Amino acid sequence: MLFFSFFKTLIGKTVAVELKNDVILTGTLHSCDQYLNLKLSSVTVVNGDKYPQLGCLKNAFVRGSVVRYVQIPSGEVNTELLEDATRKENAPKKREVAK
Amino acid sequence: MSSIESPLDLIRLSISERVYVKLRSNRELRGVLHAYDQHLNMVLGQVEETVTSKEVDEETDEEIVKKSKREVDMLFVRGDVVILVSPPLKST
Amino acid sequence: MASTIKELIDKKVNVVCVDGRNLIGILSGYDQLQNLVLTDCHERSYSSTSPVELVPLGVYIVRGDSLAILGELDVEEDAKRDLGGIRAEPVRPVLHTQS
Repeated sequence: MLFFSFFKTLIGKTVAVELKNDVILTGTLHSCDQYLNLKLSSVTVVNGDKYPQLGCLKNAFVRGSVVRYVQIPSGEVNTELLEDATRKENAPKKREVAK
Repeated sequence: MSSIESPLDLIRLSISERVYVKLRSNRELRGVLHAYDQHLNMVLGQVEETVTSKEVDEETDEEIVKKSKREVDMLFVRGDVVILVSPPLKST
Repeated sequence: MASTIKELIDKKVNVVCVDGRNLIGILSGYDQLQNLVLTDCHERSYSSTSPVELVPLGVYIVRGDSLAILGELDVEEDAKRDLGGIRAEPVRPVLHTQS
């Protein structure tokens, strides 16, 4: 759930989604779900001349399973908060019980 | 310091450290680990990606290994492409 | 997230499959696994050596796990294009198995 929450904080921001077929889509993150399926609005395709198949798209739903990377605007991310959330999410179960 | 019992505990201790990540399709990343989950989805900062490709020289029939690098400020990496994660690098 | 596919219903959509194929059709239905029903569907088969080939397919069901990108087609922009003049490599398949 960590990354679902994380992507929700990025809604409205511009991201570049690189897929496993090497296509790179940039656009505004419109929504995401628990499977990390992403929906982008105002999409443009990087290297668009190479991919006429992807021209004329108004928006794009990208299946989470085909994503390789998402490039994120680092200025929009509080890395300390993110690291703390990660530590919490992955905390050893035993220690929690001991508390 | 908490003990290391499972492989992922080792990664937990690498948070906010520079790590090396090997990925499918001959890709490697070096970057600061900001977040991960049990699938090895990750967020890395100040990332350097290296893509290695092989080409065969038609005249000499020799294999030429090409490495291309690029830098990305912050990157989410999907866990299913991750092959290995290596804790803090002593160098760089 | 399901609601975001809902917005595309009865619209002309552009689907890129994980094998690289490109389908155009009217989105008539979908489910939570992103299985899609496309009516009046055709495939646009791209080649670097010959014009785009249109293959009529009628009603088509695309299984969710073979979906890569789903987007609304900008019909006006698309109509301006001369598909017969386009030469392009097909989109590469999504590689799940290559190491």
